[in-house]
Amino acid sequence: MLDLARVQKELQECNKQIDVSGISIKPKGDRLTHLTGTIPGPLGTPYESGTFNIDIVLPDGYPFEPPRMQFATKVWHPNISSQSGAICLDILKDQWSPALTLKTALLSVQALLSAPEPDDPQDAVVAQQYLRDYQTFAGTARYWTETFARSSALGVEEKVQKLVEMGFPEALVRSTLESVGGDENMALEKLCSG
Amino acid sequence: MSSSEAEMGDDQTNRGFSMFLPVILGFNIASSPQSQEGDNRTVPEGFALINPLDGEMIVIEGTGTFDPSNREGPLPASKASIEAMPAVKVIEEGLECSICLGDFEVGGEAKEMPCKHRFHSGCIEKWLGIHGSCPVCRYKMPVDEGESGKGSDGDERENIGRRVEGEIRISFFFEN
Repeated sequence: MLDLARVQKELQECNKQIDVSGISIKPKGDRLTHLTGTIPGPLGTPYESGTFNIDIVLPDGYPFEPPRMQFATKVWHPNISSQSGAICLDILKDQWSPALTLKTALLSVQALLSAPEPDDPQDAVVAQQYLRDYQTFAGTARYWTETFARSSALGVEEKVQKLVEMGFPEALVRSTLESVGGDENMALEKLCSG
Repeated sequence: MSSSEAEMGDDQTNRGFSMFLPVILGFNIASSPQSQEGDNRTVPEGFALINPLDGEMIVIEGTGTFDPSNREGPLPASKASIEAMPAVKVIEEGLECSICLGDFEVGGEAKEMPCKHRFHSGCIEKWLGIHGSCPVCRYKMPVDEGESGKGSDGDERENIGRRVEGEIRISFFFEN
């Protein structure tokens, strides 16, 4: 059984220090098994000024089993799948320890953004680019940050404007944005799928 | 005559391959020990699929390490080492068990690992039953005899080697 007392304590502790770490964790629904973690892109990296959302699913065995984490925000990084957001990080796999917490795991993910490990890639294409042509890699990563990781910082009106500029009718944009809780990427996906 | 995977695009090969599917016979092949001489790798195992109509054969070669139960991964601490952990009395206030994040009760008992890290006995016994290392400092507890041969040392290189060994080779043999 999932240790709910521990999860609740973790959320309280983490969100108390949000001003210091910039890291927050929020439950997705009523239950504590699905959460969303948010980390700021580290300064001095192509991810700077981005805000990255991470989907967290807690298995029944948590904290004896690692939390399952993957990026909900698209990100261009050798150890993160550009398609699915899957993260290649040892502490989320066999190096997990129950003394780690959701917050320390998210801090490790943030550290991974600062220090990619292209020799142990999750996304082979990104890793190749990182090794062969760092400038292009950094440019792409920055572009992805601008495009996908800054939207949560935009106000609603800016999001509406952006989507209207893409050719969607304003009323539909507003209702769609509202239905997905203001997430611009999800709204775009929904608008595209009709 | 044998051909490699590269020839799978060949028309004749494709015809032959499609004919396999309804008439697959499988058997285990023990690879010859000579081929492994001077090489302490696990002896490969595999099986062959034979088309009885024309004698074509596909050999699927794996290795013993491909067995999922034999993957690298955590090993539990030995029962003896878990039982040998002393119970210590908690005298200080405000200490918490870093597994459940709950406080230790003053006057209650905690289990102490050889590295001196302390946890609730239920918490640490459950963890060591899955993974024989200290949650805080990764101090390695002894593992049970018989299991110590595989993966008891967390040597990353060895793990990578094992992963490579897990690859499956498929060869096609055709008799015309």
